Amino acid sequence: MKEKPLQVLLVEDNAGDARLLREMFRAEGPGSFELTHLARMSEAVAHLVRGGVDVILLDMGLPDAHGLDTVRLAHAAAPDVPIIVITGLDDESLAAGAMKEGAQDYLIKGQIENRGLPRALRHAIERHRMHSETDLIRTNQLQFKDEFLSHVSHELRSPLTAIYQFVTLLVDGLAGEVNIEQHEYLGIVLSNVKQLQSMINDLLEVTSIQAGKLMIEPQRTSSSEAITYTVDTLQGAAIAKGITLSFDIEKPLPSVWADPTRVRQILIILVDNALKFTPENGEVKVKAHILEKDPSFLVFEISDSGCGISPDMTERIFERLYQASDPASAGRQGLGLGLYICKELVARQGGKIWATSVAGNGSVFSFTLPVFSLSSLIAPALRKDDRAESPVTLIVTEIGSKTGWLSENVRTEHSHWVRDVLRHCLHSELDVLLPKMGQSGAAELFFIVAIADVIGGKAITKRIQEKLDASEDIRKAGLTHSTSYRSIATIKRSAGQSRDEFLEMVTNQIQESMNEEISSRMVVNGQ
Amino acid sequence: MDNKKILIVEDDPDVRKGLHLRLKANNYDTVFAADAFSSMVEARKHMPDLIILDLGLPAGDGFVVMERLQSVPALSVIPVIVVSARAGVANQARALKAGAKAFLEKPVDNAELLAVIRKTLGELAPPEDAPVHDLGSV
Repeated sequence: MKEKPLQVLLVEDNAGDARLLREMFRAEGPGSFELTHLARMSEAVAHLVRGGVDVILLDMGLPDAHGLDTVRLAHAAAPDVPIIVITGLDDESLAAGAMKEGAQDYLIKGQIENRGLPRALRHAIERHRMHSETDLIRTNQLQFKDEFLSHVSHELRSPLTAIYQFVTLLVDGLAGEVNIEQHEYLGIVLSNVKQLQSMINDLLEVTSIQAGKLMIEPQRTSSSEAITYTVDTLQGAAIAKGITLSFDIEKPLPSVWADPTRVRQILIILVDNALKFTPENGEVKVKAHILEKDPSFLVFEISDSGCGISPDMTERIFERLYQASDPASAGRQGLGLGLYICKELVARQGGKIWATSVAGNGSVFSFTLPVFSLSSLIAPALRKDDRAESPVTLIVTEIGSKTGWLSENVRTEHSHWVRDVLRHCLHSELDVLLPKMGQSGAAELFFIVAIADVIGGKAITKRIQEKLDASEDIRKAGLTHSTSYRSIATIKRSAGQSRDEFLEMVTNQIQESMNEEISSRMVVNGQ
Repeated sequence: MDNKKILIVEDDPDVRKGLHLRLKANNYDTVFAADAFSSMVEARKHMPDLIILDLGLPAGDGFVVMERLQSVPALSVIPVIVVSARAGVANQARALKAGAKAFLEKPVDNAELLAVIRKTLGELAPPEDAPVHDLGSV
């Protein structure tokens, strides 16, 4: 079968140069190339968008586009079509820039040989094709690897479940009496089950990081609670190894803007790591304080009296699959995924993580998270039109259960669509739906700060009530709902007050009202 | 008082047996199904007080089972607890939306499973308890 002629788009405003190039193609004989000649970038883009072009021959000085812009425009219009740029004699650096922008090759005006041009075109097309194929293969391989890992991890969980179930049946004496020695051995099996489980969880976590599916839901999160939880959880392991595990936190420690589950996860991995590399009679300490350089961040520090890390390794340890290769630390090391997971979790929540160490003198792992700030959440609404006088109304929606009990699972799930419903009832620029503001007793509370007066607040409240009344989800899940509003008197910005001072004043009043709402419900709900 | 009856829908025979022994030790009666189709048959036949449901099943997954249960008024009132190897918030959200009362990841800690069962059945005072071993949270 005879091949179709290659469709060449020549973009060149100089008639003389264009004629010269055309002549070169003619020498190739009919049937191998078909040339379309356009003189302007805008025409070229329109032509490329229609498709059908195999290769672009592009002059970088056009009446309506110049330099690297020509390459960018052509590449954007037809990302899959190879580009060869034509430059002047003195423009090799420009040509190099064009290659960086995605051009396949360059030709210098006045130095193009007759036979050289078609060869350059064919090469460019071939190179481009190979490049695309390699990219595709690499993408497919990565995807396959992630799917494979995810599949394997899931499949490992069923046999692990069976092992756990039957060992615990034995340990609990449900299959007959167990002597002390047998009990001890079964305990070893269980702790290994736990290790395997945590490795499988790490694998799953890493595959979701790779697939961009990591779920993080930031809210106001108590940093001191996360720290005490971690220390309580790992105290047993510390005692078993003869290590003193303690925390030392400034009071009162501000809340952070982060996902509470993820904060605990980061702390657990870091403290667990510290325990692993600290010898008997050693010490592991968790600290937290405001970052001196930037008070909008809180820094957590986990220090140990272990073997330390050599300075050239303090960055590498956060790489995926990195393993400490210290002969002194005997025993199993795990998969080398923990610190990588930490790094991703911290970065995804707007913080940084790093390690410092004096070899032989312990290490300190530090990470930052943004401090929770109510004022930064409501600032955009107040700053709209640069308001100096704002009627502020606080609206509270309470979701409860007919049975009086909302499980943590049910809470999380329903919060999602309740938030969606609320968002639909709001003015997106003037009203702010606040994130979860902490524990609120048996019911789940949602707060809205509306830059509106009593009439406005009443209207929003009514809208929310109607929407929730009509909700199938509420009915099906056996939930109750109620919405109320309270006006926070119009706040005026006084003459000498700066914007920030004004914002702080408004924030304080809102916070106060919110605290009252929460505590009044705690009393009603018998908390 | 009669023991409460729990339908275990689980295709792995070992996991099924392990669950059965643990529940029996805690004074629950158990019946079984190993796939989506027989889970409907067993649910109609025994009218259990609670269903423990795996998600990965032959002949239609756990989501299909929940959908079918919901479509039969008499069965739609039976509370479902999903216990699955499929982790992740997305699966959890989907299961709860489909009508599950709780979502637990395999391997689920014995104490946690029993606590969730009791809460779901509205049993405030725990039944005479067999000791449980805490796997701890990881």
